[in-house]
Amino acid sequence: MTSKVQKILIVVPILTILALWEVVSRTSVVNPALFPPASQVASAFGNMITSGTLSSDLSASVWRLLAGLCVGSVIGILLGLLTGRIRSLAHALAPIIHILRSIPPVAIIPLVIVWFGIGDGAKIFSIAFAVFFPVWINTHVGAEQVQRVFLWKAKLAGLGTLATIRTIALPSATPFIITGIRNGIALAFIMIFVSELAGASSGLGYRISITQLAYRIDEMIAALIVLGALGALTDQLFVFGTRKIFPWLALS
Amino acid sequence: MSGISVKNLSVYYKDNHVLKDVNFKAQNGEFVAIVGKSGDGKSTFLHALSGLVPYSGDISVPKNIGMVFQNHAVFPWLTVSGNIAFGLEYSTDEERVSIVHEHLKLAGLEDKKDKYPAELSGGQVQRIAIATSLAHSPDVLLMDEPYGSLDEHTRGNMQKWLLDVWAKHRKTIVFVTHSIEEAIFLADRVSVLNHGTFTHEFMVPFARPRREEVKFTTEFNTLRKDVFEALNTPATTLANIEKRIPVGPSRK
Repeated sequence: MTSKVQKILIVVPILTILALWEVVSRTSVVNPALFPPASQVASAFGNMITSGTLSSDLSASVWRLLAGLCVGSVIGILLGLLTGRIRSLAHALAPIIHILRSIPPVAIIPLVIVWFGIGDGAKIFSIAFAVFFPVWINTHVGAEQVQRVFLWKAKLAGLGTLATIRTIALPSATPFIITGIRNGIALAFIMIFVSELAGASSGLGYRISITQLAYRIDEMIAALIVLGALGALTDQLFVFGTRKIFPWLALS
Repeated sequence: MSGISVKNLSVYYKDNHVLKDVNFKAQNGEFVAIVGKSGDGKSTFLHALSGLVPYSGDISVPKNIGMVFQNHAVFPWLTVSGNIAFGLEYSTDEERVSIVHEHLKLAGLEDKKDKYPAELSGGQVQRIAIATSLAHSPDVLLMDEPYGSLDEHTRGNMQKWLLDVWAKHRKTIVFVTHSIEEAIFLADRVSVLNHGTFTHEFMVPFARPRREEVKFTTEFNTLRKDVFEALNTPATTLANIEKRIPVGPSRK
């Protein structure tokens, strides 16, 4: 398939949906106050850019997302590698981790607000909490399933436990870690939205919440589209980055 | 000392007595091939020699052992150079570069040094595996069916390459294989492992360096027939042999 055909295949459905959206809204099949036409949403989107609200909301949400994602992923990877390779540690920690894992991440938000207030710390903690579990469990499984022969090679090379974890378990578990982080990204977007709904003065979740109160459905839809696009972009950038950093994954 | 001495070696996997009171010797610089059927304990014998599985009995081997595992056991996340450099962390940067360069040359893969194993052919990958094991300057090289998955042509080339390498380095080699022809062509001595114990031993009389033509001589075929018959000795007959090892044609 040529790149031109591929572009057409991507653009045509988007234009069709926008056209249908515009027609349905303009012909009053639905209440245009509740379902404003695409052109009105585009205009609201333009206003959000020129007024600077979009950039401040975006930067607030992106910072919290990235910080939460990094903290949750790093802790998840470190602990997953240790529990995947050190059986006694896995036995000791598994019950605690499994109980915490069963708590829906959004359920901790009220407690986190009590603990950390309504600043960035609370949101970053909530996101990190949600991201940690899929990253930990995937890393744990990946580290547990390292080929025995690789571990033997490490033993023959005289490597100790930590060196084996760093040089063998970590790269072996990389495909699992990537899957875990991708699941974590999806959860992080749920958490950023929910945590900004309650107790925030900026961010895309806050914008969606405040536009509902102000009955600015056009701005609300624009913010939702930005949130969706940001999620897709983050995931694609992550996939692109992993392919660049770990070229061997695409070969195996 | 760079030879190997094994006395009354036994290995159990749960209730399965895999190696039964095995005795074995290899002189410094000797090339010994071990043939046997699947499940008769060939790989287990090498794993016991390298201390990778628990055993009872006495094993005397040099500390510095190189092991080439079955099925291309190279790290997919490391380049050819990275695989050769694995485990050389204790060397200085200069030494490491020099060792890697020397072994890339040995493997004939200087132009592939930045490639990943998945980008190479089976024969090339196995050359990395062997070069990697030699990079540590082991006193003994244990090779577990290294050519089992290669096609006939590549296998022939790899056998000649290994003989060249051995001629240069003169390491003690214990080479496990299913192929009687391969064992006779490569080794000074062929030991037959039958039902968990060495039952027969054959000295290989052919002068070195060996050429492929030797495989088509009557003497080669007679020896192959003798080894084949030893390999297919029924378990009931073996019980009568007890621990006597009949030594085959000693015409070296």
